[in-house]
Amino acid sequence: MTDPRNPDSASQAIEMDPVEYTLRKRLPRKLPKRRNDVYVNMKTDFRAQLARCQKLLEGGAHREICVHGLGLAINRAINIALQLQASSQGALQLAANTSTVELVDDLEPEDPDEAGEPMTRTRNNSAIHIKVFTEFPTPAKG
Amino acid sequence: MREKKLRNQPSNVQYSSTHSVDNSDARQGGWVRGHHRDAGGYAKEMPKFITGGTFARARAAEVNAMLKAVNKTPGSSYVFAALPKHMRRRAMSHNTKRLPRRLRDVANRMAATKKKKEQAKNKSRKARRRHGNLLLEFNRRQRKNIWLETHIWHAKRFHMVKKWGYCLGDRPTNKCYRPCYRAMSNHCLLQDLSYYCCIELHGEEDKLLAALSQLTSKDTGPTFASAVCLSGCRQGSLTVYKAGQYPSHPLGLVTFLWRPRTQGSALRQLWIWAHPTLKQDLLAELQAVCLCSEAVAMVTPVEAHPTTEPEPEKSSEAKLVPGKKRKRNHKDSSEPSAKKILGDGTRSTTSPVTWKSSLTGIIINDLTMELVRFRLIGPQSHSVLTDTLEAATRCEQQPTHTSSLWWPELCKDESRMKLHQQQADLFHTLKSIFSSSELTAGTVLSLTVDDPRLNLPTKKVQALPFLRLFHRVHIWFCVLGGPLPGHADVPEVCEEKRRELTLRGVPEHCCQSFLWDQSVRNSVTDNKIPEQTLNRMRREVLVPGSRLSPTPLQGRVPILLVHQPGKQLGTERTGWGAGWDLLLPKGWGMAFWVPLVYRGVRVGGLNMSLKHNQNKATPHFPHDYPDCPAGVRFQDEQEAELLNKLKRRPPAKRPNYIKLGCLAPLRCPWQQLAEEWELISRDLREEKTHDGPVEQQVSPLGGATVKPQHFTVLRSRSSLRLLSCWCRPSSSKGQRLRGVGESSPLSHSAASALVEAHRMSVVWVRLSLLSKGKPELHAMLCAPTAEDLRLLAKEQRANGPQEPPHKDHFKSRIGRSKKSQKTASPANDTSQSSDLVIGLWPDPLPSVSSHCSRVMLGWVTQGDFSLSAGCGEALGFITVSGLIHTLIKQPVEHRGTLLLRNPASLHYRFIKVNIEV
Repeated sequence: MTDPRNPDSASQAIEMDPVEYTLRKRLPRKLPKRRNDVYVNMKTDFRAQLARCQKLLEGGAHREICVHGLGLAINRAINIALQLQASSQGALQLAANTSTVELVDDLEPEDPDEAGEPMTRTRNNSAIHIKVFTEFPTPAKG
Repeated sequence: MREKKLRNQPSNVQYSSTHSVDNSDARQGGWVRGHHRDAGGYAKEMPKFITGGTFARARAAEVNAMLKAVNKTPGSSYVFAALPKHMRRRAMSHNTKRLPRRLRDVANRMAATKKKKEQAKNKSRKARRRHGNLLLEFNRRQRKNIWLETHIWHAKRFHMVKKWGYCLGDRPTNKCYRPCYRAMSNHCLLQDLSYYCCIELHGEEDKLLAALSQLTSKDTGPTFASAVCLSGCRQGSLTVYKAGQYPSHPLGLVTFLWRPRTQGSALRQLWIWAHPTLKQDLLAELQAVCLCSEAVAMVTPVEAHPTTEPEPEKSSEAKLVPGKKRKRNHKDSSEPSAKKILGDGTRSTTSPVTWKSSLTGIIINDLTMELVRFRLIGPQSHSVLTDTLEAATRCEQQPTHTSSLWWPELCKDESRMKLHQQQADLFHTLKSIFSSSELTAGTVLSLTVDDPRLNLPTKKVQALPFLRLFHRVHIWFCVLGGPLPGHADVPEVCEEKRRELTLRGVPEHCCQSFLWDQSVRNSVTDNKIPEQTLNRMRREVLVPGSRLSPTPLQGRVPILLVHQPGKQLGTERTGWGAGWDLLLPKGWGMAFWVPLVYRGVRVGGLNMSLKHNQNKATPHFPHDYPDCPAGVRFQDEQEAELLNKLKRRPPAKRPNYIKLGCLAPLRCPWQQLAEEWELISRDLREEKTHDGPVEQQVSPLGGATVKPQHFTVLRSRSSLRLLSCWCRPSSSKGQRLRGVGESSPLSHSAASALVEAHRMSVVWVRLSLLSKGKPELHAMLCAPTAEDLRLLAKEQRANGPQEPPHKDHFKSRIGRSKKSQKTASPANDTSQSSDLVIGLWPDPLPSVSSHCSRVMLGWVTQGDFSLSAGCGEALGFITVSGLIHTLIKQPVEHRGTLLLRNPASLHYRFIKVNIEV
């Protein structure tokens, strides 16, 4: 497991009334991308994402790729990784890691003059990082 | 018989068939050659004899005439016209030596007689390019339309347009539409927004708020009094209305920024930024609500400068020419910076800029062109900023030594320096952020920086996020597990600060800036180091291209960084187009512009800011505010421009909008549409009340006797939220979305209540096409019929229905009027025909809503293929009552589907309506 960041438990306990606040979710924090990082989402077609991974692996430039999935997309990330492995006839291996990602929500008061400050709250979501690599060469850089 | 005259026949010579009437036999005696039809050969009666004398005289006259005709140089044609085609050469009229020698004399003579009047001889290029003369010329050229500080940079690279009293770059001359889009979505796009006008209000907080609250309404969102904005930590934006007339008479969109409270002073300072088209309206309204009508006489020399500019310039020039020590002259160093200040394009140079009120104590200051505003758009804009700017270095000086400059004085104050250190730390933390959209929207960060020209890179570089190493580490954490030796503690510290910044924003005391201080601003502007001195310093640096050090004392500038939120509404592309605004004191524009450009940003013009707003799905100021006076003026201009463009095409190549069933391709008659829908909804309501008494309790609510007034754009958030819920089809996904803010479902009673409350309103919508197609300006938005929706249900990517072609009854009338114009032009006839343009409806338009086969609901104000969505997207307005009546009739799964038809097409396409709050 990776670093468990301890969330501020105090700020979690805000009771919010949905009538008085508007919830706006910020995007999850972007991570920098190497060429062989694939971030899986739920909007793009599954086959397209699978094809992209296959292209990366078959292109020969990369021995390993990392498939990342957050929240709802974890399922799909696992699915992609397994499909890759299945279609490679045993040449590819997987190494999965999970982590927790901190997400930020903005709460905007409906009546901004009286309710005071817009609040931000953080919540956690799970993420998965699957390393897909060919077997024989030892994983580089490890 | 020849009646025809020779072409160049002199007037005194006549050949007439009757020139020898008296001498009839002479005529008969004329020799004729060739075959004559009537004679069938030679004339029957051959003359018996010829009198030699008369015959010779007659021939002599003819020969004379011919000779005269040949010798006389024709007035209208050139000598070389006499030459056969194959002997003509290029530019013969210009250079007589290209003519054959026999014609040269004539040509020379002609050239001498035709000599044009002597053109005033231009000064030599060298003289023209001399610095003083160049500046004079520049001043002359910007008398009507003011230049921004970056004008010359732009003029070399952009198509410039004269707009709103300024010369502005519209679009770059090189082809870079897509690169600019990529810069906005991946890296950074830079724009000069200095033409935005800033109005400063000065006064006690409660009095200011009391005055300003008349201009706004809480219904539309945060006002001037919203707590975060009031503390000075955030920039706010809102729509301003005429005092106390909230739903009607809007003025336009402004952004505002409060100065953080200073200790020991109850006075507050507020900057309101507005578009130049809006400024005069806004200023008048502000003066009215603040009771500020006493103009304060201008005491600042800077403002008085422009009126008296040319004279002192000339005299100093005259004085300086004989002496050779111009460069050493001390006054000269400050002159260029003073010369650049020229008033602005939205007011005349003599009008006052400060008003104060003895009653409320509020001071209004017009700060237009006093501040430079650059906008950086894109996720990497903060890395560009952190790359370009460096927090100001302290100056080491004896505390006893006093300086006229502000920074050395400041350095002695320890608390101030502590604040500066905090600000610099915060700025440094920005480096650990990956995307500009991670920050809280509207965050303000104040900073004092070193002159960015001091460390200009020798080559253009691409500013990249600083945190590559840090993130490598992070990924190893994630993927491999376990910390990396040696780097484990570095990210932790960074991480903590970053979290603090993204969650809480910048603390209030760090937003305090010296940019608010006019004396500091003026001192910084006046003491700017000229480029020449910098170049001299560069020459003396040992390693070429390295940073200039030590930093000269004048090289510190107070700036404000204001975060601009990206796309906030809706669920797609959240945070797209976020960025930073950079506020500088005037005179420093180019000093920051070039270093920014050297960090690999793209530069965009006016049309890119339009595209930015379109992709961000926010209304763009004069375009999408048709109910504001500025918007109306913009529409007038746009109509004239479009009409001109249309008339430039040959009539046969223009689309005939009458046949295409498009009533208003140039200008949208919003008022007429709103009135028509008001009538339609009233009819519908009456029908319903006849049908059943159930709905009756609703109608007294609105008071049906209200006269139709001016149409308005719906901006009340609660109503918009209702509409936005109703527009969504209630699929499984839609229901989940709806859980966020639950509201009443679409029912007849709720709908009619909303219609009743907003009878003359139009609502701003974002439209996306379901299949192919590219929406264009002023495309029509129509309600689909039940059959259309059935078609859509059958096939998801169905092409829409077709509009049957209309008949053009006006074409014949135009033809007729043209004919009558040719024969005789009576006054009334010409006036009528000048109104008629082929293919455009003449002015009293028929009913716009029912003109076509589908009922019209509204028009598109901007439309294009959206590169970020991958389909055509448009922004437009729809009447509220029309939209609701359409929605009620639609089946649940197709709710919010409308039809769009381009003005030059008969094809309807399906679109999806989104209203985002």
